[in-house]
Amino acid sequence: MTISNPFLIHTQENVIVKNPDDKSWVFEVGENGNLWVDFLQTTDDLNVFVSLQAEEAKCKINCAYLINKNNMLNIDIKVLHKYKNTTSEQHIKGIATDESSVSFKGIVEIPKDSQKCDGRQHHRGVVLSPKAKIEAVPQLEIWADDVVCSHGSAIGPLDANQLFYLQTRGLPEHEAKKILLNSFLGDLMPEEFSDIIQGWMDKNV
Amino acid sequence: MTALLEIKNLHAKVGDKEILKGLNLTIDAGEVCAIMGPNGCGKSTLSAVISGHPAYTVTEGEILFKGEDLLKMTPDERANKGVFLAFQHPIELPGVGLAQFLKTALNAKRKANGEEPIDAVAFMKYMNVRATALGISNEMLKRPVNVGFSGGEKKRLETFQMAMLEPDFCILDEMDSGLDVDALKIVGQGVSVMREPKRSFMIITHHDDLLQYVKPDKVSIMRDGVIVKTAGSELVKEVEESGYDNF
Ligand SMILES: Nc1ncnc2c1ncn2[C@@H]1O[C@H](COP(=O)(O)OP(=O)(O)OP(=O)(O)O)[C@@H](O)[C@H]1O
Ligand SMILES: [Mg+2]
Repeated sequence: MTISNPFLIHTQENVIVKNPDDKSWVFEVGENGNLWVDFLQTTDDLNVFVSLQAEEAKCKINCAYLINKNNMLNIDIKVLHKYKNTTSEQHIKGIATDESSVSFKGIVEIPKDSQKCDGRQHHRGVVLSPKAKIEAVPQLEIWADDVVCSHGSAIGPLDANQLFYLQTRGLPEHEAKKILLNSFLGDLMPEEFSDIIQGWMDKNV
Repeated sequence: MTALLEIKNLHAKVGDKEILKGLNLTIDAGEVCAIMGPNGCGKSTLSAVISGHPAYTVTEGEILFKGEDLLKMTPDERANKGVFLAFQHPIELPGVGLAQFLKTALNAKRKANGEEPIDAVAFMKYMNVRATALGISNEMLKRPVNVGFSGGEKKRLETFQMAMLEPDFCILDEMDSGLDVDALKIVGQGVSVMREPKRSFMIITHHDDLLQYVKPDKVSIMRDGVIVKTAGSELVKEVEESGYDNF
């Protein structure tokens, strides 16, 4: 794993972690297990598969992507609620500039016998240039009927009125954009990644 | 007196719709100019064009500020030259703390003027004096800019930002709309203490309220994208009594 695509596993209680190659992760969460992992992608693809294997297994996957030039990025995250009473959260946010393109595919699968599951997946993307592209395909495959699920995706440019407001207070356009992008990412990523994120913004915004 | 702002034959449109249609206006250094006009005549558009909002295209005319071509400058360059707009509808900035934001803005101005950034202690002092004068609590300073504030609080916060940035030219777009009596007094006094020989104000309003505190040197009436009459403060009464039909 290169420094430009860091990850941080905060919690792994009763989790089997497999990392077959640089870009792929498999997490098997056992009974009462708890997984919380953050990924930051600036160059490499990411492929994550989480299986919630037993009662009360939980996971939280946070992912941010920052992409520039004519790079292409594929992010695939799949969570399988293999057992009843399991819970998952996915939060994905990203920024694409220049002529880059991102394809995000997120799947939450809840088979027929996995009742009382809770699966959430939220994606938001900011396109910073007219030629940058973000495509998101959030997918829910829900076969059980007694579950709580939510998902959503929103993609767009920065808000022109917010940018203008900041500029009328004397902030140059790139500073104003950085402020808005930092507030967009919020506290999704850990403190440990902030140098990489700020470095990326200094170069690309 | 010397002109701080000179607007000559200004035409501006949004999309294909012309809103400013040959507007002329001069505001001298130290002058307070009130602008009154019916809803939709283009008052907020004028303030947006002076500040450089990208949605409006100037098709003809010019704006000189301190003798320089304002229309060639970006919004932040205009701000750092001394233009300040207190918005009719202040914009919410979730996740952007007010105090930190103002420090960044103040330092952007200092940088533009070739000065060093202000140090943290000096900034706190500078901010606290102004916050206290305008009844802005510590709790408000920590909250994100304009998010979740009441209409009247937002207006007070705009006045506070103006006091922090000490601009030479202050545009107040309906600062007195939606203020209760006490807030009006705070804002009125806050604006009035900022009057200085080199600082000018353009006060857009529908009433006499704020003007009680900040007596205008002149009042300009705007209709359908142009200034149709400019006279002394007696015009305010005339408008309040008989509306805009006579202009
Ligand atoms: N971004 C925009 N898109 C479309 N129309 C606009 C836009 N901005 C202004 N207008 C139109 O231009 C006209 C002038 O609007 P403006 O906001 O400048 O009026 P105003 O004089 O400030 O009115 P009020 O007293 O209600 O604040 C209105 O008809 C308005 O609908
Ligand atoms: Mg208006």
